[in-house]
Amino acid sequence: MSRLSLAVHKFSSCDGCQLALLNAGKDFLELTRLMEIRHFAEAGILDNNAEVDIAIVEGSISTEADLPRIQAIRKHSKWLLTVGACATSGGLQALRNMHDSGQWMIDIYATPGSIDSLETATPISAHVPVDFEIWGCPITTEALLEALKSLMAGVSPIEHSDKLCIECKRRQQVCVMVTGARPCMGAVTRSGCGAICPRVGRACYGCYGPAENPNTASLANRFKGFGLMDDEITRRFWFINSAADGFRQEGETWDKK
Amino acid sequence: MNDPEILNINVPLLTRVEGEGALDLEIRNEKIESLQLRIFEPPRYFEKFLEGRYYYDVPDVVARICGICPVAYQMSASCAIESAFGMSAHPWIRSMRRLFYCGEWIQSHSLHIHLLALPDFLGEKSVIGLSALYPEVVRRGLELQALGNDLIALFGARSVHPVGAKIGGFFRAPEQGAADKLLRLVEKAYPDAIEMLRWLDTLSLPDDEQSFVSVALRHDSEYPFNEGRLVNDAGLDISIESFESVFIEHQVAHSTALHCLLKGKPYLVGPLARINLNRDRLPAEIQDVMGKLRTRFPSKNMFHSLLARGLEILFCLHEARRLLTNYRPDPSPSMEVTPREGIGFGCTEAPRGILWHRYKLDDRGRVSNARIVPPTSQNQARMEEDLREGLTRFGLHKDADILRQRAESMIRNYDPCISCATHFLDLSLQRKARRELRIPPLRHRFHVNDWSAAAIIAVGSPHAGDTLAWDLCTSMSSNEDFNRLQAKGLTLMTVDRPGLKLLNLLRNYRHILIIDSTAGVEQTAATPQLLQVEELMMEDSVLSSHNLGITIALKLAIQLKNLPEETFVLALSRANEQAREAVLSLFGVG
Repeated sequence: MSRLSLAVHKFSSCDGCQLALLNAGKDFLELTRLMEIRHFAEAGILDNNAEVDIAIVEGSISTEADLPRIQAIRKHSKWLLTVGACATSGGLQALRNMHDSGQWMIDIYATPGSIDSLETATPISAHVPVDFEIWGCPITTEALLEALKSLMAGVSPIEHSDKLCIECKRRQQVCVMVTGARPCMGAVTRSGCGAICPRVGRACYGCYGPAENPNTASLANRFKGFGLMDDEITRRFWFINSAADGFRQEGETWDKK
Repeated sequence: MNDPEILNINVPLLTRVEGEGALDLEIRNEKIESLQLRIFEPPRYFEKFLEGRYYYDVPDVVARICGICPVAYQMSASCAIESAFGMSAHPWIRSMRRLFYCGEWIQSHSLHIHLLALPDFLGEKSVIGLSALYPEVVRRGLELQALGNDLIALFGARSVHPVGAKIGGFFRAPEQGAADKLLRLVEKAYPDAIEMLRWLDTLSLPDDEQSFVSVALRHDSEYPFNEGRLVNDAGLDISIESFESVFIEHQVAHSTALHCLLKGKPYLVGPLARINLNRDRLPAEIQDVMGKLRTRFPSKNMFHSLLARGLEILFCLHEARRLLTNYRPDPSPSMEVTPREGIGFGCTEAPRGILWHRYKLDDRGRVSNARIVPPTSQNQARMEEDLREGLTRFGLHKDADILRQRAESMIRNYDPCISCATHFLDLSLQRKARRELRIPPLRHRFHVNDWSAAAIIAVGSPHAGDTLAWDLCTSMSSNEDFNRLQAKGLTLMTVDRPGLKLLNLLRNYRHILIIDSTAGVEQTAATPQLLQVEELMMEDSVLSSHNLGITIALKLAIQLKNLPEETFVLALSRANEQAREAVLSLFGVG
C-alpha cells in the first residue's frame, strides 16, 4: 500500500465528524503512520493549500468566502471525500433554505451588514465534483477508517445505501414501529449508525439521510395513521437532512397540506 | 514599510481549537493599538430552527450546535423545558444525568489537555510529535478520553450527538452488566488520572496573574452540573431565571458570536472559574489531592486552567465511581411529559462553562421562542482582555513568532469552542500602521481660508450603535473652540443615511469632513481612523455599519469631478474625547 497524503477541512459544522478521527485514539496515531496528514487544523497541522491525495471535507457551504475555498480544495486534491450530513446534504443548517434567513439575521443581529452569510447552506457537491460521500450526523470512526483503508488499497469505498430496517434485522432488533407504533424513519434512512435509536427503544430520526429508493410517501401516510399532525410529519423529514432528495420533497408535500 | 516600528505578521489559521476563527492584533510603538478576537462564520440560526419545533425534537436539534459538548446542550435544554412543563427530575434521573455529564467532561477535558493544549507546553506542534516524545502520556490521555466517550455512550449509544436522552429523562436505563463493566474501567482509570494530574503539576507553566471575575453555578452541597445558583467571586448570587437581568449580550462588528458581559464587564466561565468558586464542594478525597499540588487554587492565572481540567477529570471519575457503584436500572427511566404553555430556563455547566437556555413553549409543546447563550461567547470579551493585558506584560517588543505562539496558547487556555458559535478563526498578528489618527501629532489638517466653504457631515441612522457620529456632533456643539469656528461660518450637519444625496451636499463645499461610525455596538477602544478618499476606495469594506453608500457616493463624486478639494472621512468606533480632539485638531484648534 502506498502512503497517501490527507487533508481535513472544515466548513460550517459542529466539528463532530472530525471527532471520528480525534476520538479514534490509538487508531488515529496509527493512521498518522500509515498516511501523511498535511492539513488538520484542529489537530495542529496547518497547510491549507497542500496538494493531497485525499481531502476530507466537513461542513456545508454557507458564506461567500467558502466558495473560492472549496474550489481550491478541489483543485489541490485527487479525491474529495465529504463526511457527515452538513457536507453531504447541507445538514441541519439547511433548514434555513426554507426560510428568509435574511430576516433571521436581522432578528438576531443589531447590525447585520457586517455578517458574511449566504441565503442558503448547501452541500459540497452543489459546488464541486465529489468523489465519495459518507453520510451521517455524525459519521462513525469505523465508516471513515473503512473508506480510507479502501483508498489505501486502491479500491473505491463501498457506499452503504441500504435501509436501516436491514440493519435492525441483521441485529435481530425488535421493530419499534411495528411493536411500539413509533414514527420510525428507518424504512427510508441509510444504515451505518448501528441502529442505535431502535436499540434504545426510540424511533429513528433520519440523521443518516435518505437510503436508496426511499418510499417516503408510504411511510408518511403510516405516520398519519399513528396520529401525527401534518406539521409533525413535515418535521420528521425536515430535520437533519432536510435538503436531501427524497426528504425535502416529502416534507414539502406535508407542509402544503 | 521602512518604519522600524512597523511589522506585519500573518498566520492564516489558529490551530488546536474547536472550530476556526481569527485574532487581529495591531502593535505600534510597543503598544497594542487594537485587538479583536474575530469570529466571522455566519450564524447557524439554531434559535430560529427551534421555532415551531415540538419539545421532543429539541435535544436532538441543540446537540448539533457542538460535536464536542452535545450532552451539555441536551442537559440545558431538558432542564429548561421540564421547568416550563412544571416537572422536576426524580432522584434516579438526576443522578444519571450527572453520570452522563461526567462522561462529557472527561472526554472533552482529556481531548483538550492532550491533543490541544499540551503541545504548547512541551514545544511540539501537534499530538503526533508529542506521541513520539511522551508515548505514555499520550496513551494515558487517549484512554481517559475513550473512557469519557464510553460513559456518554452508556446512555446515548454514541458519544457525538448521543440518542439516549429525552425531555423527561432517558429512553432506556443502561443494563446492569454494561454499567458494571464501566465501573471497572473507571476504577482502573482513577489512579491514572491522579498520575496525570501530578505530572501536569510538574510542567512549568507561564506565570501570568490577572484580576478577573469568575462565574459559575453553585449548588448547596455538590460540585455543580445541572443545578444551582449563579455566583461570582464578587458577591453575585442570583437564580438562573435572573440571568438576563445582569448578563447582557451584544453584537460587536468583528464577530458573529454575540459578546456577553456581566454588568458591562468581561468575566470568566469554565473549569478554572468552577474550581475557584466551588473547590469546597469537591469530595474530601479530591480536595486532599488538590491541596498537595504545587499549583494553588483559587488561581488568577489562566494557564492553571490546565490543572483545573485535570482536577475535574479526577472529580468526574470519583463521581462516576460513586454513581456506578450504587447503580441499578430504574424501571421508569423517564417521566411522563404533559406539555403546557410557559417559559422555562435551564443552565448547566458545560465543559467550557455555564450554558444558559430559555424556551417559550405553546400549549402543544412547540417552541415559540428560544435563546441560547454558550460559554465561549461569554468568554470572548474576557479572552480579549486577557490577551491585551497578558501580552503587554509578556513584552510586545518580542519576536513576532514568539508573540504569536504566546497569544495562541493564551487563547487555548479557554478551550474556545468556536463551533458552539460555529465560526472560523485565523490569526493575523499585525504590527503595522493602518492610517490611525495619532493625537498628537497630526498628519492631516484642513487648510481653510473661507470657513463658509467648510463643513462637517455626520452620517448615521437611528439604530443602536449607529448614532456615534451624531453623538459626537452633539457633544462638539458645547465646545467653545468649535463654536468660534461655527461663528466663522463652519457648517455642522447630521444626516440620516444620505446615499447619493451626499453628492448634492458635497457640491456646496471645498473642505469636507465626513464622520461615520465603523460599526454598531463596537466595544474595543480603537482610535478613530482618518482616511483620505483614495484610501477609502481601497478599504470600503471596513467602514460603516449601514453598507454606507458613502464609498459609492464618493466614487461617483470622483467620476463627476465633484469632489471637494479637501475631503476626509473620519471613521469612529466611539464618540469619545479622542474623537473630539481629532476633529478639532483637523481644523487647527486645540
